[in-house]
Amino acid sequence: MKLTRREFIKSNAVAAAASVAGVTLPTITTAAAAEGDDGIRWDKAACRYCGTGCSVLMGVRDGKVVASQGDPDAPVNKGLQCIKGYFLPKILYGADRLTQPMLRKTNGKYDKNGKFEAVSWDEAFKTMAEKWVAARKAKGAKGVGMFGSGQWTVWEGYAAAKLMKAGFRSNSLDPNARHCMASAVGAFMRAFRIDEPMGCYDDLEHADVFVLWGANMAEMHPILWSRLTDTRLTKKGCEVHVLSTYEHRCFELADNPIIFKPQSDLAIANYIANYIIQTKSYNKDFIGKHVNFNKTTTDIGYGLRPEHPLQKAAKNPNKGKFNKIAFDEFAKLVSEYTVEKASKISGVSKKKLERLAKVYADPKKKVSSYWTMGMNQHTRGVWMNGLVYNIHLLMGKISEPGNSPFSLTGQPSACGTAREVGTFTHRLPADLVVKKDAHCKFAEKVWKLPAGTIPRHNGMSDKAAQSDISGKPMGKTLIHAVAMHRALKDRKMNCFWVMCNNNMQAAANMNEESLPGWRDPANFITVTDPYPTVSAQAADLVLPTSMWIEKEGAYGNAERRTQFWRQQVQGPGESRSDLWQLMEFAKYVKVEDVWPEDLIAKKPEYAGKTLYDVLFENGVVNKFPKQKVTDDRGNEYGNDEMDYFGYYVQKGLFEEYRLFNSVPGIPKKGHEMAEFEVYHKARGLRWPVIDGKETLWRFREGYDPHVEKGSEVQFYGAKDNKANIIFGPYEPAAEMPDKEYNLWLCTGRVLEHWHSGSMTRRVPELYRAVPDAVVFMSKKAAKKRKLRNGSMAKIISRRGEIVCRVDTKGRNKVPDDLVFIPWFDAGRLVNKLTLDATDPLSKETDYKKCAVKIVKA
Amino acid sequence: MNICSLVVHTQPEKGAIVSQRLEKFTGVEVHGGTDVGKLIVTIEDEGEEISPVSDTMNALRDVEGVVSTVLIYHYGGEESMEEMKREVN
Repeated sequence: MKLTRREFIKSNAVAAAASVAGVTLPTITTAAAAEGDDGIRWDKAACRYCGTGCSVLMGVRDGKVVASQGDPDAPVNKGLQCIKGYFLPKILYGADRLTQPMLRKTNGKYDKNGKFEAVSWDEAFKTMAEKWVAARKAKGAKGVGMFGSGQWTVWEGYAAAKLMKAGFRSNSLDPNARHCMASAVGAFMRAFRIDEPMGCYDDLEHADVFVLWGANMAEMHPILWSRLTDTRLTKKGCEVHVLSTYEHRCFELADNPIIFKPQSDLAIANYIANYIIQTKSYNKDFIGKHVNFNKTTTDIGYGLRPEHPLQKAAKNPNKGKFNKIAFDEFAKLVSEYTVEKASKISGVSKKKLERLAKVYADPKKKVSSYWTMGMNQHTRGVWMNGLVYNIHLLMGKISEPGNSPFSLTGQPSACGTAREVGTFTHRLPADLVVKKDAHCKFAEKVWKLPAGTIPRHNGMSDKAAQSDISGKPMGKTLIHAVAMHRALKDRKMNCFWVMCNNNMQAAANMNEESLPGWRDPANFITVTDPYPTVSAQAADLVLPTSMWIEKEGAYGNAERRTQFWRQQVQGPGESRSDLWQLMEFAKYVKVEDVWPEDLIAKKPEYAGKTLYDVLFENGVVNKFPKQKVTDDRGNEYGNDEMDYFGYYVQKGLFEEYRLFNSVPGIPKKGHEMAEFEVYHKARGLRWPVIDGKETLWRFREGYDPHVEKGSEVQFYGAKDNKANIIFGPYEPAAEMPDKEYNLWLCTGRVLEHWHSGSMTRRVPELYRAVPDAVVFMSKKAAKKRKLRNGSMAKIISRRGEIVCRVDTKGRNKVPDDLVFIPWFDAGRLVNKLTLDATDPLSKETDYKKCAVKIVKA
Repeated sequence: MNICSLVVHTQPEKGAIVSQRLEKFTGVEVHGGTDVGKLIVTIEDEGEEISPVSDTMNALRDVEGVVSTVLIYHYGGEESMEEMKREVN
């Protein structure tokens, strides 16, 4: 009997599920369809959403994505997808995709207060270049700025870093990862002198105990959660401890559920360290050989503007210095954190705290700790990340299967792009920093630039001031994400390019610190996005982008896995990828526009050239000629950038990037990657990749080839091969509830909408399922304010107010003194309420703590 | 037209009863795996303008006895019944 088309598709779907689950179905006669049977071409891609890095198979027919399937060959997700995978193909096809550049105009000319009109790419870039060159000349290195993304592909981030740091000679480049991962990065660099987790997802099967510190994995990392759940349900004695400031879905699996008062995680972590020392459980051999003890500078303020009273009150604002101390002094410092004190500060029972401390202190139990935004978006986020490393290091429970402190990421390439490529203001590729003259010189050599091109953090190279096109000395050049909005407001920065994120919606305190600068006629704002987001609407020039699988790409996930995909379909209309935009824009700026004469004199052959010529047609990026892109089954794929520029752009950029991390003589080892073509064949590889082999656990002999024989463990990021335990005390939050503003406000995400909802709110089913943000509050707290489930409430902070519906029955159950509002909703902008307090060390905003009051709307 | 397959985890002894609960939803079919607690489930729609499939998927997570649900396969091509008939014939 001939199957109908529907039956045919259904039997494929069933066969795929049965195969992943290992279930035999006698009634199914059709095996998974051979390719071509239904006209669908299947190829792998890394998922567009979170930092887990699932591999998905995308099914394309007639130039359109029609189907998707969890990739059965992917080690990360083993054929599974989370529910968000259902919406993956649909995010490409929202009804309001941007298809043309649009510029605000009146009477045919650019006008800040004009209406958006469609313009050509040429007009868009000409207008933009004029503004950028003028701002760069008038205001110096900080006059222009770019705000990028952990959703950029690896080569997009690399091209952006090169364009800004080498081309425009500006360190005004920061990614939205600043809002998300900066505290994690800060702590890695302080403790290990090299970024990113030492362990990997394999720990999810190896661990005996899981501890979640401020991570809602069930909703935000569902595939990792399903692996964790499997282990919990099948391994005898396995336990799950969940710490959070409110109850969420992970609590359904929690053996030790812990609700703590905001900010008191600092006290809890110090108590655990104290417990380990008091009970003499610490690994004496390990700390003797592999660890230094330190204490950090305290009373460091809250990363607010210097004139803010809280900044003025701080004794050591923004100071990150830490000093070596003896073990005994460390023991004395944490001894203050008794179980009584930790219990009092946190509101958690002594019994629960002791149960948690015991699993860490038990040498026989393998413990994996996971955290996300609860720990990173924290005014003491760097300290707090460090306090968890302290615990693992005291026990030597690190860098081996199952023993793993693990920082999860929220974006698909927060690691691969933002961190590894170095799209932060202070960074260069492969963990190099602009603070080090030698690192800059190395980058200048790789990029074939005259010495002194890249602006140093203090504007000094070889102890002399770097000259600048502005005619003034270069001066200090670092500027982080939050400071960029402040600089726009203060007219210190006049041009701003936001790519691949929605910072108007994402940045804290938008009424006071974001919108004024964006809408100031002195400033010119460009937003590149697939959709008309809140940011696009607040911009002057909107550039439509070809997203995700509309271009060839690469992402790096939270476990150091680099994954590639081919271009599967074409972007709509005149949309062009972020990569194309970065490179094409460089054609509109001449070296003379942005470099001073004495710099050009060092490389006279660059005179009269465009930034594009110097940065991209440099003999390295344009080294690989145009070719056909095919898979091992002979299917052919497009590559729009290769067609346009005439060479294999992605390959050239990646191979140039490898000159920073994978050749002899590089300043920092440990980030080695394989050749470009290898990744198109593999299901991703975890760096360091040495002799074609990936590394699962870093710093441990037998797993990591960088560790010398006989040394057991080497934290080789540091010269002495040791990690730093750094004491940091409990210090209170920037803004706490008081008599008037009597509730904590915590913001965050929901399963259905990813981040600001730019993509997921375009999917009708998702929009209908969770249309508006609600305020989750306890029944008691609602009743006290004459509210109940479903009533409209006004939420007021010292900075603004919004109205939304009360939810007392939802999935998040909050304590009486805290409310939770998700931030995806462009109609209810929760960042009108939040405070732009940051961790003074990482400059990451604390979106989890400010004070609000709630009344009936 | 949307057709999805999912694996729905349950305690093995509850496989049969959970299957019955799931099949009460419109468009849901259980194809096997009940004895091992890994139900092979499909959800499909009838080509409605706004598909009910995602609502159903969310609802399945809250069904008593369901430990977790994961998506495996999704077909979401837009084709009219006429086209389908043509292809079949």
